[in-house]
Amino acid sequence: MTVAVRSTRRAAPRKPSTQSMWRRELARGKSVLIGVIAAVVLVIIWYLLTLPGGLIQPLFLPPPQGVATQFITMLSEPYLGSTLWGHAIASLGVVLEAWALGGIIGIPLGIAVAWWKRARWIVWPLFQLIRPVPPLAWIPLAIVWLGIGDVARVAVVFVAALVPWVMNSIEAVRSIDPLLVSAARTLGASEPQILMRVVVRTGLPTILAGARIALGNAWTTLVAAEMLAATAGLGFVALNASRVLDLDTLLVAMGTIGILGAALSILISSAAQWIAPWAED
Amino acid sequence: MNTTVIKTGAPMREADMNDATPKMEIRGVSKTYTTRKSETYALETTDLSIGTGEFVTIVGPSGCGKSTLMMIAAGLEEPSTGEILVDGSPAGPAGPKRSVVFQRFALFPSETVAQNIGFGLSVAHVSKVERTERIKEQLTLMGLEQFRNSYPKELSGGMQQRVAIARALIVRPEILLMDEPFAALDAQTRTVMQEEVSRLHRRMQSTVFFITHSVEEAVYLADRVVVMSKRPGRIKKEISIPHDAPWRTGDIEDAMTYGDFNELRKEIWDLVREEITTH
Amino acid sequence: MTQIKSASSTRNRSVRVASQPFVYGAVTLLCVLAAWFLATDVLHLVGSSFLPSPVTVIATLFGLTVQPFAGATLMGHLGLSLARWALGVGAGILLGVLLGIVLAWLPPVRAAVTPIFEVLRYIPPFAWVPIAVLWLGASMSAQALVVFIAAFPPCVINTQLGVSTVDPILTNAARTLGAPPMTILRRVVVPVAAPSIFTGARIAVSNGWMALVGAELIVGKEGLGFLIAQGQFNGDVAMIFVGIIVIGIVGTLIDFLIARAEVWTLPWKTDSK
Repeated sequence: MTVAVRSTRRAAPRKPSTQSMWRRELARGKSVLIGVIAAVVLVIIWYLLTLPGGLIQPLFLPPPQGVATQFITMLSEPYLGSTLWGHAIASLGVVLEAWALGGIIGIPLGIAVAWWKRARWIVWPLFQLIRPVPPLAWIPLAIVWLGIGDVARVAVVFVAALVPWVMNSIEAVRSIDPLLVSAARTLGASEPQILMRVVVRTGLPTILAGARIALGNAWTTLVAAEMLAATAGLGFVALNASRVLDLDTLLVAMGTIGILGAALSILISSAAQWIAPWAED
Repeated sequence: MNTTVIKTGAPMREADMNDATPKMEIRGVSKTYTTRKSETYALETTDLSIGTGEFVTIVGPSGCGKSTLMMIAAGLEEPSTGEILVDGSPAGPAGPKRSVVFQRFALFPSETVAQNIGFGLSVAHVSKVERTERIKEQLTLMGLEQFRNSYPKELSGGMQQRVAIARALIVRPEILLMDEPFAALDAQTRTVMQEEVSRLHRRMQSTVFFITHSVEEAVYLADRVVVMSKRPGRIKKEISIPHDAPWRTGDIEDAMTYGDFNELRKEIWDLVREEITTH
Repeated sequence: MTQIKSASSTRNRSVRVASQPFVYGAVTLLCVLAAWFLATDVLHLVGSSFLPSPVTVIATLFGLTVQPFAGATLMGHLGLSLARWALGVGAGILLGVLLGIVLAWLPPVRAAVTPIFEVLRYIPPFAWVPIAVLWLGASMSAQALVVFIAAFPPCVINTQLGVSTVDPILTNAARTLGAPPMTILRRVVVPVAAPSIFTGARIAVSNGWMALVGAELIVGKEGLGFLIAQGQFNGDVAMIFVGIIVIGIVGTLIDFLIARAEVWTLPWKTDSK
């Protein structure tokens, strides 16, 4: 998937565009207000459409208050073995484990591939072999080989996270200005010093961008993995709820997946800001 | 201020000027780039000596191989023939004996001004106490105290180049190599920086090898101007500038008011122009 | 000396990562293939229910091209997968680009839509699989909807990004020359935004392929994802391998084709990689 490195470009913040009669920027307060109104209107439409005898049957889309009630209930009452908290923690545990493992292996691998020829000859072809296959396609193999326990899920999510970790670590080394390496050398730095202090440190923002993509990929893949092989977790809840046509629970699971995904993304972005405050923005 | 601490290399004495061993010697150096299809002569066999405490500038048309010569002198590129001597012995790989100031600053973006300046000391495992002391001296010398904790991206071009110069000076190089250091700066900043480098050189008696494409800059700063031909580069002429030239104490704008300065400038410009217009 | 050499070649050696010598890659791959063959057919280190030999995998591959499995041959499953994928990605790109342009050009719409879009964007495509099936049945359109959900956001984001980077000087210049809005859009905005739109389309295409495989794995009665799911269900590891190989090859081809398409349509954009 070329997504890995390319998405860093997508993530680049927009340049503020100069004013033009065509697309006049709104004041910040005004645009927040419009956003809030739009969201409220959407919920009201949802509510009206799902009123008893309304246009949409609850089997197709349940009313918002039903979803909200179910959400609150699930926070305290177990559903399929644990509360919503329990399922969320199960999901987060697998994701963070696989994501961290991906970083521990992916960063040195990417740096090695970009820095040493020999490593590249061995690792790169294998990596290219694995890369085009969507991580999900490994799930059946992982289940056959590793069973339906945590290990299989961690393995699949790990593969999903590994690709951006490696790609961005490679990119981090590749995008180093050779002049910086020259400058370090004329100041007396040794090869290991150049690698650690100049190459890795300067490339840190790119690696951190990879970390963010890896976390997003991991979360996406985990949801699917939990639908195929799990006994807990939000994806497991979603699929089981849909099997018994329990749309309230299904929407609660989907919403929780979305909120946690957003929270992870925001967390890692602020962590990156904190770790590499010098990064070009 | 105690200038003996921050000076680069050995102090210049009269004896050094007459010393038979130059600070740096470029001996029989040439460079040919070989690709599978062709060979490109970048630099013809070149000999050049730079005395202790001397400020030598090289001017030439762009692409004449002067940057190649600089990279070889710094030890960052291998010559096809010849060798570089420092104090009479082979210089070896790049290192802090010959520190370089690059045109594009080459500051480490992830390090603060103080960390950038101290880079050469920390990789050499100089004690923290001494490091702090020497960084402080450089910050003072370059007027960078208030930026010590800033990152390079927060500084103007002129300030960034000050950091780069401080970073090159702190390791006490035998010779300071400067590769068109002011080419990326705006005109006013450049004038100020030229004057500062001139002042620094007079105060510290450092040995400097300086590449530029600006004839004024070359004449203004140098004890000796070396004119290079177009590619493949070779030394066309060397012109000594009087040690007591009156423009050395002012800035380059003042220098332009001196008749001698303008004559030298004209003479060198004519030499350079031949290289640009002839085929 | 080697140190100095490596200094000047730092740039070169890193650039070559992408287009490194073909030979070494081939040698490494042959080694892997040989090791696989040795471990299974020659030394019998692992059972065939765990890792089938390459010969078995190839035999299964050819078997599937002639012998229908679950109602379709390999080509049939591939065709169905591609059709769902094309439907979802096509709709995603079309609507995504349109919405992207609207969001970039009409700030009130942007203010209204962006918060909702941002919230929904964080729900992964696979989380939509159950509800897509409830809405549309385990059909072509349910799978296509999941593909669409995966393909739509990158198109919106990149189109909006591309359009908003159009220099207002250009649009103003066009306006002073008397160009009507649609002409400005077509002749000024779209050419400038095109590379960014293509980036979005590329991400959409590979995201869509990934989503399709996942959706077919989770529900469905045909397609490549279904094939590997059945392989797992029946303990037929060779079939899982066949599915993975075909999915990988098709994914690579798709990515390659859109990269070519970008070069054809935007020849002025040199850094197409």
